[in-house]
Amino acid sequence: MVDFNVETREDSHVDIVDLRGYLDAHTAPELENVFTKLIEDKRFKVVVNFENLAYISSAGLGVFMAYVETMRENDGDIKFTNMSPKVYNIFDLLGFPLLYEFYTDEKEAIKKFNEKS
Amino acid sequence: MKLNFFSFDNNRKLENAISFSIILFLFRLVFPDDMGFSPIMVVINEALVVLTFYVITLYVTEFIEEKKYPPLSLILNAGILNAFIFFVLAVIAALFAGIFSESNYANFFYSIASILYSLIFIAALSYIFSVFKRLFFLKQKKGNILYFNSMIGFLLATSASATLNFLTPSFDFINNAFKVVTILLIILNSIRISWIAFLTKKEKIYLLVISIILSILFGVNAGLSSNPSLTNKTLTEFSPALHQFLEMMMIYGSIFFGIVFFTTLFHLPTAEAFDRKAMEVSSLMDLSRLITQVFDFKELADTVTDITIQVCKSDSAWLVSNSKGELSLSAVRNIGYLEADKITNALTDQFDLKNINTVKTISKKQASLNGNGGFPSNDFSSFAVSPLKVHNFINGYLIAARRNEDLFDDDDQKAIGAFADYAAVAIENAKLLEESLEKERLEKELDVAREIQYKILPHKTPDIKGLEISALFIPAFEVGGDYYDFFRLEENLLGFVIADVSGKGISAAFIMAEVKGIFESLAKLILSPREVLTKANEILRGSLDKKSFVTVIYGIIDTKNEVMYTSRAGHSPLLLVRDGQIEEIKPSGMGLGLDFSPNFLNSLEEVRIKLKESDILVLFTDGIPEAKNASLEDYGYERFERTILHSCMGDINELSNQIMKDVTTYSQGNPQHDDITLVIFKWTKEKNNKAGEI
Repeated sequence: MVDFNVETREDSHVDIVDLRGYLDAHTAPELENVFTKLIEDKRFKVVVNFENLAYISSAGLGVFMAYVETMRENDGDIKFTNMSPKVYNIFDLLGFPLLYEFYTDEKEAIKKFNEKS
Repeated sequence: MKLNFFSFDNNRKLENAISFSIILFLFRLVFPDDMGFSPIMVVINEALVVLTFYVITLYVTEFIEEKKYPPLSLILNAGILNAFIFFVLAVIAALFAGIFSESNYANFFYSIASILYSLIFIAALSYIFSVFKRLFFLKQKKGNILYFNSMIGFLLATSASATLNFLTPSFDFINNAFKVVTILLIILNSIRISWIAFLTKKEKIYLLVISIILSILFGVNAGLSSNPSLTNKTLTEFSPALHQFLEMMMIYGSIFFGIVFFTTLFHLPTAEAFDRKAMEVSSLMDLSRLITQVFDFKELADTVTDITIQVCKSDSAWLVSNSKGELSLSAVRNIGYLEADKITNALTDQFDLKNINTVKTISKKQASLNGNGGFPSNDFSSFAVSPLKVHNFINGYLIAARRNEDLFDDDDQKAIGAFADYAAVAIENAKLLEESLEKERLEKELDVAREIQYKILPHKTPDIKGLEISALFIPAFEVGGDYYDFFRLEENLLGFVIADVSGKGISAAFIMAEVKGIFESLAKLILSPREVLTKANEILRGSLDKKSFVTVIYGIIDTKNEVMYTSRAGHSPLLLVRDGQIEEIKPSGMGLGLDFSPNFLNSLEEVRIKLKESDILVLFTDGIPEAKNASLEDYGYERFERTILHSCMGDINELSNQIMKDVTTYSQGNPQHDDITLVIFKWTKEKNNKAGEI
């Protein structure tokens, strides 16, 4: 079985979500739970670190679309970092770079959040 | 034939008993005074008495066997009869003595009374005898029948010798010898009582009381029956053997119940343990029967907790099931749900229950020491927690709680462990059943989705002069939501679309159906791919949920002007194969459903490509580059393009086949997880024209 793992940690008032493995229709609910929890806890500044993500399917992409609106309405955002070229290509084809911020390093994303506030 | 009248089949036993009683009655009525004078008459009389006794006993024995009376009620019945005999021997005798004085006891009225009197004794004795017989054989092994039969033999011999004694008193010693042997056999037989062990503690105490009373009563009756009172005289005159038999039966009763008393007394200390084991065994039997017959988890769970309370003397019990890390309580018995929940949380927080292998007992003291906020229950003081294990995985717990501070002992723990095993199996069964129902539902849903998809996709490619078209679609097991279509717009215009709806299954299939509707109508109204996609995005706004999107390439081929216009909304690029090279046509544009602001239109490009002879256009969905091999590596664009270049010189259907062959070979050993769509155009105007000229 391919597996998927998601963990969250905090750095300078920003929540960092680390993804690992394969994010598809079967594992996407796990990530959804994490985002639901973040919104419940009023944590709207989120950086998603893709360093260890091997694959993302359309259902996985949909998770970000579902939550980004709420984050932005509350002065937050979902920013993407550390993507492999392969995974970035999927986001790029879809046109995500027109709507989301992508960074090569999570520090940049955190900095960006803290600059604004 | 001759035996018909006497045949002791089941239906005739009562009739036989009654007829023999009547024969005996008439015989005595006709020859009232001959007793003691003619030995022949005495022998005939005795024979009749024995036969009557025998047939009545046959009937009573069968009656008792059929009703399957428990031993205690049999004993009680025998006791009542015995008390009655005592009443007759002691009280009636006194009354009779007044009515029939020595002088007139030979009259007719006296004869009838004495015969009835004796018949009652025969009936009572046969009942008592049947009861003894039944008690002897209850839970006995078959081999012991010899002892019982030899006892009966000596009983009869004793009675017969009493008759002999009656005729010629000098044979007194024979009667005494038989009597001694019979009593020895009675003692021997009475020791073999095994049914007492199977009684519950309550029944044993009851039996203890009743057996001592009966032992004394039988003893008294034995004493009374050997008195030379009027009753005994009457009985002896009626039949000396009967009288002897009465005496022997009374002795038997006295000995038997005496032994029963002591046996019960010795069994009493272990009665409780025996009760418990018996209850455990029958509970486990109930459970295993339930588990094979009932799939309703709730019923099984209720039974498990009820039995735990009963067998382990706990005040309450409940089941905790662990699904996806969440603990939920069920079959909560004799305790409030909230309190049980609090206790469960306190126990799981304070003790490492995740790794327990066997039953763990916890006292409130331990719990309070470990916790920092005190223990959440004032009522309960002692707990036992058993893991519900299936395949070494803890599915939940069975928790039993006591109000007093007695810890659950080894036996309790064993029993709780056994019940927990059953609960574990029950939970597993319920889960599997639910899963298989869910699977069935999903499969039905997928069938519907496949049907929708099949109906939506075009069944043949359009026939256009100067344009070869090949289309191939391979659905995945979980319908992926791929869609492609062609629209004849005008004489020289062909619209084409390839789309991939995010997600899978029936929801994807429905969106796909909507997408088809949108493109079918928009294609004919608007001749600009960019505008078609913008409009489609607006329409889809109402029906796409937040996390769904659709990637599309829409294009128009103008065969007259030899040009193609196309726009891309987040879809994989279109590949143009020209002069042995591949060019990715990737105009900017985001997927439908990603954004509904003017951003969408702004991002969208439209490209115009002048077609050259033998140009090949390859449209596909991500099922091809994302096809995975056994080690989950993507098929990828490079391999895809290499294959295209390798086979692009021939027929485009052949190209399509080559691509699929390569993808299939690559992804062998890993099931296809997404739909695959492959649409190929080849511009062959000149070739066609030439062909036309010829």
